[in-house]
Amino acid sequence: MHHTVMDHLSMQDTFLHRLDARSKLIAVVVFTIVVISLRRTGVGIIAVSAVGPFAMLLVGRVPLKLAALQIGCLCPFIMIIAISSAFYDRSVVTIAFGAYELNTTQGAIGAVAIFARFAVTMMAIIALSATTRLSDLLAAFSSLGLPKILVMQIGLLYRYIFLIIDRACHMLGARAGRKLRYLGLRRELSTSAAMIASLFATSTQTAQRVSDAMMARGFDGTIRSLKKSTFSIADTVFLAAVCAYMALLLAVKGVI
Amino acid sequence: MAPVISINGFSYRYPDGTDGLYDISLDIAGGEKIALIGPNGSGKSTLLLAMGAFLHGHGSIVVDGVEANKKNAKQIRRAVGSVLQNPDEQLFMPTLLEDVAFGPLNMGLGDEEVLRRSMDALGIVGLDGMKHKAPHHLSAGQKRSAAIATILSMNPKIITMDEPDTSLDPRNRNNLTSLLKSLKQTLIIATCNIPFAAALCKRAVLIDSGKIIADGPVEEIITDEKLMQSHGLETAAIPESIDF
Repeated sequence: MHHTVMDHLSMQDTFLHRLDARSKLIAVVVFTIVVISLRRTGVGIIAVSAVGPFAMLLVGRVPLKLAALQIGCLCPFIMIIAISSAFYDRSVVTIAFGAYELNTTQGAIGAVAIFARFAVTMMAIIALSATTRLSDLLAAFSSLGLPKILVMQIGLLYRYIFLIIDRACHMLGARAGRKLRYLGLRRELSTSAAMIASLFATSTQTAQRVSDAMMARGFDGTIRSLKKSTFSIADTVFLAAVCAYMALLLAVKGVI
Repeated sequence: MAPVISINGFSYRYPDGTDGLYDISLDIAGGEKIALIGPNGSGKSTLLLAMGAFLHGHGSIVVDGVEANKKNAKQIRRAVGSVLQNPDEQLFMPTLLEDVAFGPLNMGLGDEEVLRRSMDALGIVGLDGMKHKAPHHLSAGQKRSAAIATILSMNPKIITMDEPDTSLDPRNRNNLTSLLKSLKQTLIIATCNIPFAAALCKRAVLIDSGKIIADGPVEEIITDEKLMQSHGLETAAIPESIDF
């Protein structure tokens, strides 16, 4: 399963894995803000900005195929926005590649820029999640000021979403074993609705039992943790390099 | 020996009006290992929940000298460690160490003491080499052991376990039996698995339809064919190698 692959990747031992989760999180958040603030049609500068997350993937030994696959899985959502942008501005522009020239529209360039921005920021997020254990990432969220209850919710969501997906898969398997033909749209829909309702009911029961398990161990609404993050020289060097890279991006954004 | 749990005339009715437990009276001595046996839906799990102050009915349950009611729930849960039937519902933190440390941290212990207790508990169940593993990466047997470790780290006087042998293969069941036998705490186990109960406990309490049907030495109850069959249970021989 996907989460197992990401968990295994996050347990590797590389320079990036050894960094404090907070420094990686800050770097990715700042990088995302800078990339989003780049010129709407600045495809060149976005291509340059891809160098950073690409380097993170390489240093963190994250398979590029996996990163591409994940971006591919999520791209249909952003494609809708990108395609609509292509129709939004139809003013013709000419792009020169040395001696060659290409006539296109401002909207088409905007669409490419939207997709490129998405791919570049996704690369950074994948690099972060594949080089940081979830527990460390949650501790980083918490120490950077995200409400602890929200951090706990994210942790529980990650812990149980796969359990619920497994249950849904078992239900689908059980249905497939007894459903030997197409039942017609109405019955298919009512069967699906019943399955969703059943899944909701079992999820609620699970939530109640998890709550009981937490109460049984003295939970009073305050999240306490053993984790004590340490900021090393390597983190300082990493953040300094990220700052320099961001400054470079901002400096050349008007040129490229 | 003075009872650590004393139940007197306890009854509980589910919100839908069904009787869950009816007039339960039971004394459990400190250090006892006791099996609550009975068919599915007989009220075993409900009784365990009531002992952990998760359910409140009529009558009284006194745990370690404290009345089990809403007001005393926290105190009761320091004394009673509840291991749920499904370990996936017990293991909710991102790593095993954090899960085992969850209880001691909530008890207000210092970090060093929490770490010591957590590592000791993981060592007892043989998972100390896996402290940074995510619970969803553990096998069924390891999850069961981890769920026990989450309770052991709190060092409760009493441990209740709901169907702890569910979905374990024979090797893992034997490992679990050895682990549970080695515990010094009072152990109350709800199970339908009669050989498992026989291998672990000296005393058995047979529950059906929310009532106590029989209470006595495990070898007397589980070999009474008429009694066992009339409540949908199988008889079992007492293992020769049993070592209490």
